[in-house]
Amino acid sequence: MYYAGIDVGSLTAQAVVINSKGIHAFKSMGVKPHPVQSAKAVVDMLVQEERLPWNDVKFCVSTGYGREQVQAEGLSQDNMSEISCHGLGASFLVPEARTVIDIGGQDAKVIRIGPGGELIDFVMNDKCAAGTGRFLEVQARTLGLSLDELGMVSLNAEKILELSSRCSIFCETEVLHYLQRGHSKADIAAGVNRAMAERVAALVRRVGLEKEVTMSGGVAKNAAVRAELERMLNVRLIKYNVDSQIVGALGAALLARRMGGN
Amino acid sequence: MRTLQCQSTDLFTEYVRDWKEKGGKVLGYACVATPVELIEAAGILPYRIKAFGHPDTELGDAYLARFNCRFCRSCLQLGLEGSYDFLDGLVETNGCDHLRGMFENWQHVKKYDFFHYLKVPHFLREDSLEYFVEELSLMRQAISEYFGVDITDEKIMRAVDIYDEVFAKLKKLYALREKVPPAVTGAEVMQVLCTGSSMMGEDFSAMLDEVLAEKAGASPPDYKARLIIMGSATDEVDLIADIESTGALIAADALCFGSRAFWKREGESADPMQLLAERYLGYLFCPRMFTEYERRRDYILETARRAGVDGAIITYNKFCDLHGVEAVSQRADLEAAGIPVLVLEKDYGSKADTGRIKTRVQAFLERLGK
Repeated sequence: MYYAGIDVGSLTAQAVVINSKGIHAFKSMGVKPHPVQSAKAVVDMLVQEERLPWNDVKFCVSTGYGREQVQAEGLSQDNMSEISCHGLGASFLVPEARTVIDIGGQDAKVIRIGPGGELIDFVMNDKCAAGTGRFLEVQARTLGLSLDELGMVSLNAEKILELSSRCSIFCETEVLHYLQRGHSKADIAAGVNRAMAERVAALVRRVGLEKEVTMSGGVAKNAAVRAELERMLNVRLIKYNVDSQIVGALGAALLARRMGGN
Repeated sequence: MRTLQCQSTDLFTEYVRDWKEKGGKVLGYACVATPVELIEAAGILPYRIKAFGHPDTELGDAYLARFNCRFCRSCLQLGLEGSYDFLDGLVETNGCDHLRGMFENWQHVKKYDFFHYLKVPHFLREDSLEYFVEELSLMRQAISEYFGVDITDEKIMRAVDIYDEVFAKLKKLYALREKVPPAVTGAEVMQVLCTGSSMMGEDFSAMLDEVLAEKAGASPPDYKARLIIMGSATDEVDLIADIESTGALIAADALCFGSRAFWKREGESADPMQLLAERYLGYLFCPRMFTEYERRRDYILETARRAGVDGAIITYNKFCDLHGVEAVSQRADLEAAGIPVLVLEKDYGSKADTGRIKTRVQAFLERLGK
């Protein structure tokens, strides 16, 4: 018997299928213009590539910003906020986790959870791109790097350049200024990653840090941001043994299993 | 309520249009510290300025900075683009600096013949009450001279009586929302208050009779959790509706477009000006008042307990320094009292942000186990 979770975010969509033993299959892709299209596409990908008949899925929960529309379309039977789902998913992967840092394309969240992944408290970034994946995306584009390269390149930095502004737009101007003055991309990228980590660390402090700490979302793949956060918070960020972007969908699938009676 | 739904999102309502056609005058004010009784005693309609429609702010932005609260920039936008041309003048207060910026730029461009600045003290002390009485007397004189009306003591006391009646009826409406199960939703209550803030007290009182009669036996959809909402100035009925669409009931509020505008308006004095000063300065539960935090906190806790809430939402507009700072202590005190809190910083009237707001509220309900 299978249970599924679909997470349609601002930049990527994921579907995870679990059974009584654990994760059976998952897929991730860039989003389509409409959340329902994204959900259908990621489910199709899963069905085709993993040869998984969707009819075998007993219960499905949607999450992410399109969660209600996905449910209204009949693709899921219930929906839950991505905040709760990230808590559940993280707790399943790292049972000792009590703080989850999740940084997606347009959102940054810090979630405090209990022993069973239940939501204790959370904080989400204000309406601003600073401290989200979009911030890194803008600066990476200005530097002519891919998002993956932004993290890797900065590990070779000789010095970390200071970016005084945390606003994505103003920061882009500062990045351009450094480029024009001939600074290396590695040094600038290191400054960008540090600026990002500072914003996230402030969010963590707002909700209160409790060990152990994990990190999910696309930005968790950026080694430099992770390293800066570990240094600033004086804590080790426990890595998952699966793709950090599927944690929300995994949480939704776990909830589906609970709701579906297993 | 259907009529209310239309009126609560219109600026130039049918009621105001009729009033103007009959030759009535309208004075615009924005701050809850403005004694509407004094305006009404002059036979003038006190109209609370709102930013319905949440317009783009390109005109407002030419005069105020992007780091000013968007509620004020939106009101200014409506003023500058002519939506408020039916007003016969403005009454400014020093409620906050964003509000002052709004009023003064509005007046700078529109140049109303009647523009009065009512200075409201930031302290509640004997000498500040005396000062406020003088300020109210200046306002009385200014209205009286410009509009050529005699504002007698009797007229003021009559207006006080009318508003006491309005406030008593509003308390009945709040009781209908607080009871279990409720007979009215948070969004409906805000519609009533917004509509009433563009009416003469006597007519608002009559409208409240109808609303109370209609709503007494009503039963809104079931809800998962009872919440209190507090924070900065907002007339966003749709924000309350969005919050309630996640399964919450806004069972109580401490908003200035809500209970803070009427819950406590008490005074002892037989002198009308002294009485108005006591009613307003004495019960101004707004963070613009210095050394009054404990009274504000007690008011909120008392309201929350009376309504039996499961949690609290503190919401404030981005760049609202007064409520942004207040939220820190409020959150700590509410949580110490066993009331979980969601702090919801938002841009005023941003429909594009609805999804993020609903996500946070839904997660908050999940946190409450609802």
